Amino acid sequence: MPKCTIDGREVDVPPGTTVIQAGLMVGIEIPHFCWHPDLPVDGNCRMCLVEIEKMPKLQIACNTMVTDGMVVRTTSEKAVQAHRTTLEFLLVNHPIDCPVCDQAGECYLQDQYMEHGLHDSKVQPEEKVRKRKVVDLGPIMLDAERCVLCSRCIRFEAEVTRTNSFEFVNRGDQTQISTFENRPIMHNYAGNLADVCPVGALLSHDFRFKMRVWFLEATDSVCPGCSTGCNIFIDHRDGEAQRLRPRRNVEVNKSWMCDIGRKEYKEIALDTRVTAARVRSPSGWEGTSNPTALDTLAERLQEAGAASAFVATPQATNEDLFAFRTLAERAGGMLDFRVGDPQDRVRVREDGVLLRADRNPNTQGCLDLGLGRSGVSEIVKACAAGKVKALLLQGPELLRRPEALEAIAKVPLVAVMAAHEEPSLDRAHLVLPAAMWAEVDGTFTNYQRRVQRIRRAFPAPDSAAPRWALAAGALKRLGAPFAATSAREVFALLARAVPDYAGLDFRSLGTGGRALPERPDQAATQEARA
Amino acid sequence: MAARVVTVDRDTKPGIYPVLIGMAITFKNMFKTMFGGAAATIQFPEEKRKTSGRYRGIHILTQRLDGTPKCVACYMCATACPAECIYIEAGERPEATIEKYPTRFEIDLLRCVYCGFCVDACPEEAIFMSRENDLVGTSRAEMIIDRDRLMERAKLVEYGPGYRPTDHDVRRPVRIAALERLKHEHGIVPGPPSR
Repeated sequence: MPKCTIDGREVDVPPGTTVIQAGLMVGIEIPHFCWHPDLPVDGNCRMCLVEIEKMPKLQIACNTMVTDGMVVRTTSEKAVQAHRTTLEFLLVNHPIDCPVCDQAGECYLQDQYMEHGLHDSKVQPEEKVRKRKVVDLGPIMLDAERCVLCSRCIRFEAEVTRTNSFEFVNRGDQTQISTFENRPIMHNYAGNLADVCPVGALLSHDFRFKMRVWFLEATDSVCPGCSTGCNIFIDHRDGEAQRLRPRRNVEVNKSWMCDIGRKEYKEIALDTRVTAARVRSPSGWEGTSNPTALDTLAERLQEAGAASAFVATPQATNEDLFAFRTLAERAGGMLDFRVGDPQDRVRVREDGVLLRADRNPNTQGCLDLGLGRSGVSEIVKACAAGKVKALLLQGPELLRRPEALEAIAKVPLVAVMAAHEEPSLDRAHLVLPAAMWAEVDGTFTNYQRRVQRIRRAFPAPDSAAPRWALAAGALKRLGAPFAATSAREVFALLARAVPDYAGLDFRSLGTGGRALPERPDQAATQEARA
Repeated sequence: MAARVVTVDRDTKPGIYPVLIGMAITFKNMFKTMFGGAAATIQFPEEKRKTSGRYRGIHILTQRLDGTPKCVACYMCATACPAECIYIEAGERPEATIEKYPTRFEIDLLRCVYCGFCVDACPEEAIFMSRENDLVGTSRAEMIIDRDRLMERAKLVEYGPGYRPTDHDVRRPVRIAALERLKHEHGIVPGPPSR
């Protein structure tokens, strides 16, 4: 284990660690542009020059391996002077358009200028080299003038998506990045280009001019788009999500997420949200309060007893699922979640990068909690035979299946927890407003069996409530109060009840989640299917 | 500091004499204001109070020669605003050199504290303040003035321009602080090298 000293702080690192990584381990951030933790080292920006004892010249920290006894200085006068001069070169032809640039506020160039530069430019604005601005590349906007030619986008295209869309064109001070004939970026990971770009050269089309980033508040969460469970930040302001951004987790998504996932936030603020409970009366829908609706539900479940059926949804958190399972067990009815067989696709890759064929965030959680019991087709058969007196759906999936409609029509009470209005809700008799993933605390279990935390970014609209709270309300009315009043407590109950989750709690999950041990039987069958 | 007792020795003369002195002062001021033009009262609204050129009245959005707003919707004013009274929505301008402009720019004049921070924050000299101070309206909604009304104000010459960025130091406090730190910690004074 090589041991080195960076700015007077000793650090033990694994062999092969670079100085820049070693610095990050002890909280020293060496200024950089082209280095990215999840991209190969290029060493072209020269910003990370540091002074190393016994070396005649300054070295780039991103491509210098730590050797035993190395003494590095990142803030010596020589190093600081190098940062300043490098930055001055990078800024020679930079347009001064921070006021209209969406990157402002999260721009490396801005940060480094405030930290290390602060020089007055020797180049007048009129003398600067003009390049192409406002080039529409589909999901991405290119502004070649702002580019610092760090090649992060080129390396991302080469290494992660293997699409090689970008290349440098022209030479000398005319060098700029470009796609061939300005063709748009077609792949599903374009949003990452805006993220890897340290400056405002590549910006997201979706987020363009929408918001200045310093108004945004970031909440840690997990993408609900598929079973991969990419770690994300929800950037929101005044209770409205403005964008999703990947949060680095080496075990899951590195620093990336797909564009399908990035669009997930748009579902939250739609005006088609279910915001209040309602019951069907002979004259049509009748708005009601959650307690009244739960009274009705509990009464009907009580009457139905074992003639009830419960269909969970893999869109729900583990807490929701556990509360739902407890409710189903209390009522003694049938229970399943496998509408459309998502469990067959949990590990099936849709492309070679992140996206998976199962577009539910928590199918694995459903499996772990043992929700696949009675079989969906059995439940539908029982409905068709008139053996089900009350059917509670945790999500509207079953109502969308044409083959189940006839059977569902025979059930005297169909209750559904829904977040969005849709025509299929008209097949239910009772609708409960459910909060969405960004509005609840909880956990998702991804395809790797990694339990990851999602956090509440903002409140749910009107009387929409977490699904576990709705289930808990019904349990209370059935005379079996649920001993939990928060998601944290529900998870504690879950950890006691489900052996695989034993010993876990919200705190021990941390920011990156915890991987559960593989279940040998399951892994084998799943891999075989994949 | 401890309190102390001060004994004031008033030189009071008895009789009518002090009263006469007082009345003399009263009459002197009365004639001054009646005939000497020293009255503090102005005949508003026919007559307007004179204010300084730095007076902070209702805002003005400046225009380009083609009549479009000079503002580029950078939200600096909204960021600096302590009253959070500025609402901006940005849109796309066809010219690549400008790119961005406000499709909506609204100031809630009832919320505004007329501090002038928006003027200081603006990198484009797009927002000034006028010297207009007689704000009248019949509803709260009327007091939220939009982009077009803010731009029209430049034509109102009645009051004249008030607080606006002129020759004050453009170096922002944050930058000055950072410069001090660089100098203090590394002994570096940024700027072009002196020849």
